[in-house]
Amino acid sequence: MEKLKLSDKSRKFLDDLNVYLFSSGKKEEEIKDIVEELEAHLYEAELDGKPIEQIVGESPKQYMAMISKEMNIDYTAWAKYIPIIVFGVMAFMIIGDVLEGPLSYSLLQIIGTIVTCLLFIFGVFITFRYVSYHDLSKKVEFMMIILPISISMLLFILIQIVNRIYETPSVEIGGLGSILLGIIALILLIGMSLWGKTAVMLVVLIALHLPAILLSLTTLQEETQLISSIVITYIIIGLYFYGTFKKMKKEEKSV
Amino acid sequence: MSQTQMMKGILDGCLLAIINGKEVYGYEMAERLSEYGFESISEGTIYPLLMRMEREKLVTSVRKASTAGPKRKYYSLTKEGEEALNAFLKRWRHLETSVNSVIKQETNGRNRENGET
Repeated sequence: MEKLKLSDKSRKFLDDLNVYLFSSGKKEEEIKDIVEELEAHLYEAELDGKPIEQIVGESPKQYMAMISKEMNIDYTAWAKYIPIIVFGVMAFMIIGDVLEGPLSYSLLQIIGTIVTCLLFIFGVFITFRYVSYHDLSKKVEFMMIILPISISMLLFILIQIVNRIYETPSVEIGGLGSILLGIIALILLIGMSLWGKTAVMLVVLIALHLPAILLSLTTLQEETQLISSIVITYIIIGLYFYGTFKKMKKEEKSV
Repeated sequence: MSQTQMMKGILDGCLLAIINGKEVYGYEMAERLSEYGFESISEGTIYPLLMRMEREKLVTSVRKASTAGPKRKYYSLTKEGEEALNAFLKRWRHLETSVNSVIKQETNGRNRENGET
């Protein structure tokens, strides 16, 4: 969508509104509708030299809440996103593990992963909602968004540690079954990447595993292999983000 | 009923009346309201009201490209909207008559007591 020329203050308000409504679970088309309508209004108001307060009032927060109250919650979208994210994380795990040999997961790992994913989703949504609703500096915003991400990372690690200490019943999958599951997981990830129109998951997947596989074919020492594979992983991910960032900057300028 | 609630009900009626004339889009509605003397109300207030009226099927909307600038969402009244407008006008006229007679009778009396004219 071509963006209209707006003041930074108006643009920030529209961005905040977008994130606030989305993280409140509202319908995507309805969000697009009202944001576009307000964008058009702000555009005309700015041409007439009106300040943004004359449109959204003294409290943009209150105004955002007023709009939110008139919109329906989109439960079907939630029913769609949650399994996609949970399966996505599991697919990621499965592909990594299949490369190491036949799969074996304990009950604790399976349930723990699902619960952590759910906590992660709600944590991120609540944080986004909070951040868009409150006037915070960019630094504080960043720290707050990092919080649920790091908590779920810690939880994932914690699950692995507890899993070594306590034994729970586990599911063992044979060689052929593992490979089959790995292929299903890969198809799922590719499908999600096409749907989300982003290659980020596939790039991270390749960056994590491909260097180690290729290096294991060389005659390099094991230590050298390990270190270089980690370095290559970071380089690939870094280059990908750098490229995406540059592309985004270019698109912003061309508008 | 709080003051803001009463105000909202009145704004609803005014919006219905403005839309009744011809298809209008948000910015135009806000301008018209302000011309009529509602300049103290922030312009964005109309959108949550329009959203609710659209959900209640009092108005319908259609998006049209404008010659310069963004696409505009034009609103028009439905049959239910016209009925709601008529009901509002009836309520308003009744309220207006009652309030006016209260003011006329009671404040005139007080002015006399206070020795004012």
